[in-house]
Amino acid sequence: MSRAVITGCGIVSALGLGTRAFWNALSEGRAAVGPIRHFDASKLPTRVAGEVPVLETNGTWLREALGGHLSEVAIEAWEQSGALRDRKIGFGWVAALEAWRQAGCGDDGQDTWLSMALGLEQAFLEDFGPLLRKEGGRPSIDWAAESGAPLPRVRFRSRIDLCAEGLTSMLRLGGPVIPHVSACAAGTLAVAHAASLIERGAATRVLCGASDSMVNPLGLGGMSRLGAPSPRAEPDACRPFDRRRDGLVIGEGAAMFVVESEERALARGALPLARILGWGSTQDAYRATAPLPDGAMAKRAMQQALKRAGLSARDIGYVNAHGTGTPLNDPAEARAIREVLGHVPVSSIKGAVGHLMAASGAVELAACLLPFQRDCLPGTAHHRERDPECDIDVIGERPREAHVDTVLSNSFGFGGQNATIILGRWS
Amino acid sequence: MSVDVVGQAWRTPLGDTVDTAVGRLLAGERAATDQLRFETRTYACRIGAPILSSPQRSKHSRFLRRMGLFGLEAAHEALQQARTRGCEVSGERLGIFCGYGGLRAHWDDMMEALSGQQPEQSGTWERGLKRIHPYWMLKHLSNNAHALLAADLSARGDGATYGGATAGSQALGAAIRALDAGSIDVALVFAYDSLLEPETLVDLAARGAATTAELARLAAPYDVQAGGFVPGEAAAALVLQRPGSGGALMSITAADGGDGRPSEPGSETLAAVAARVARADTVVDGAGRAVPGLDTEERTVLAGSLGEGARLTAVQAAFGQLGAATTLVQAIALGNCLGRGVLPGITGLREPAEGPLIPLRESQPTDARSALALSTGAPGLAAAVRIEITDAPALRGAP
Repeated sequence: MSRAVITGCGIVSALGLGTRAFWNALSEGRAAVGPIRHFDASKLPTRVAGEVPVLETNGTWLREALGGHLSEVAIEAWEQSGALRDRKIGFGWVAALEAWRQAGCGDDGQDTWLSMALGLEQAFLEDFGPLLRKEGGRPSIDWAAESGAPLPRVRFRSRIDLCAEGLTSMLRLGGPVIPHVSACAAGTLAVAHAASLIERGAATRVLCGASDSMVNPLGLGGMSRLGAPSPRAEPDACRPFDRRRDGLVIGEGAAMFVVESEERALARGALPLARILGWGSTQDAYRATAPLPDGAMAKRAMQQALKRAGLSARDIGYVNAHGTGTPLNDPAEARAIREVLGHVPVSSIKGAVGHLMAASGAVELAACLLPFQRDCLPGTAHHRERDPECDIDVIGERPREAHVDTVLSNSFGFGGQNATIILGRWS
Repeated sequence: MSVDVVGQAWRTPLGDTVDTAVGRLLAGERAATDQLRFETRTYACRIGAPILSSPQRSKHSRFLRRMGLFGLEAAHEALQQARTRGCEVSGERLGIFCGYGGLRAHWDDMMEALSGQQPEQSGTWERGLKRIHPYWMLKHLSNNAHALLAADLSARGDGATYGGATAGSQALGAAIRALDAGSIDVALVFAYDSLLEPETLVDLAARGAATTAELARLAAPYDVQAGGFVPGEAAAALVLQRPGSGGALMSITAADGGDGRPSEPGSETLAAVAARVARADTVVDGAGRAVPGLDTEERTVLAGSLGEGARLTAVQAAFGQLGAATTLVQAIALGNCLGRGVLPGITGLREPAEGPLIPLRESQPTDARSALALSTGAPGLAAAVRIEITDAPALRGAP
């Protein structure tokens, strides 16, 4: 059985573009949730977010970021398709290019699989422009069929297909595409799936991870109606494991990884960033919008991951919690962590970057590389007042220096989809 | 790894029960119609293969759209059949794997909140976003059917939801891996998809994938006149166990792959995916894309691994192209046809194009006990499944 290692990582988050910006900010304890700037959110119930510091929505920033990876003709084609203004597609591309470069992969992607999650939001208000121009009657898709105008294809294509097409074109990937759509656990499951393919010898290299952005009127409007976000429009609105927590804050971004077999990585002279040791997946079988209160199946996912990794609880040196800052999620997760792992350092980066939805697990896994890179455990932004309901060793706002060899990351999705993954220091 | 199928169910354009739909398939019926749920007069593609029934009343209707409800019905039925065949499992040893193909905008669902919006996006909240139903996002959540089914069954084992054109095959593959790894004892795999949405019909026709022919002139896949497939919809479910657990209707192996092309996968990819599951099979259910160039390429590469004399059918000629549900529908259809000792003809095939393999114009008797089935989708996705019958009398169904 091959061992799966991570040889490349790329990150886009509210803390900046690139792994260096991300790890620098986390090791300095900085947070980046703030007022939404790239559109007028002043009348929306949710007005703060973990917004990536790229304000243009016309794709200019992306055009620059992609320089050299696509011909001008190709860029124009993507621009025409509208993909360049879909922030989550752009974030996924930029993160993947960084991961690919960091792993030292060149023009040899033919045998590389793509296993990724992309936020599922498929439409934007601006796409309705042509439909709204229809004279008389109810605006509808019939306009597109009747108009005789060139069809605006992007409006009908799955965003994850568009993102995958761009990556396979830029990096000349020749393997299968596996779209993961298990809500907020999808990013973690995409990486676990990649490791599974490597271990079983089905693939030798997988580009994996996730990207998402719901920081737009439709995304924030829908989430607001669901009642999940914190009602407060303040930068410290998300307070994981804090006694005053009252809801999540939406974030956006991406993290992508190159995962390959250890043998292949070493043979080509790549230096792994970490080993993927184990993972677990369970379902709460409880409710669509609330976790199982006793955390029993979150606990089971962690136990499965430990078993698959061949580890015991005392081997785990740090836990990156799902830690949404919602009243129900945090106590259930805290209980599960306490019962499985005891008094282990725990933090959530959602106070710093927001909840990246489908991409949250991938970006949080990238945060799990920080201990290996800098002997530093990320802090929990805005965690100031201990909650007896969350009786675990929460790392406060300041990061903690520590040398740990094994870390665990949790991701729990809508509908009670639980995923846990364990990374080990590579040496 | 090959696993045993101990339960099966579906909702298809040819019927809601396996016996009914397989009977109609073998009788040479085709589900294509120009009477769809919405007006298609102005569309380039005006025909499709819809499910004619409606979902049963369900407590989940507030969270699930029509196809998701069909998916749940099929899943419950498949598990019920598995129980009658001695499969008893629930809780942490039951895994659920879902293939969901509907990662699309579903424009018409959003019009209520968006029809008052302005292109410059002023006052979006007041102009309609505040009227979005609180459950609107949940109703479009990709894994909501998975979550609701897990709660119905108290299924707490491994599981995930996959998206896209071959999502059913990917869910099947993940379930087989979980059974192989021993993390669960029973896997319930279900998939659902509809290509019969206004935006999908518009897109498929623009891409040249769906037929633009009138119903009376519709040509089948592998016909010299083939000009695109008939979009369809289906939900299907299988219950899987490790080999030797007892109660098997058939055994099944699955593989999926791809080559990153923006549209259909190349022939080498199809050949590679087929080779991963093929084992001296002489019957193949083709991808049935009904595009002459693609059909010929497919026949050529399959002849390379199965031999030129292998018999070719295409259940999608009767059911329509079923997107993410395809692999599961193929498995159920072929398993039950083999169980009856009859291979289905390619419905509507009038003049087969030149090429290797033997396209079946009509249903014919067979003593084959296995078959290979292929399906494809964009971007560059291919899937293969191999079915081998183990309990022919049970698959034959009611007399």
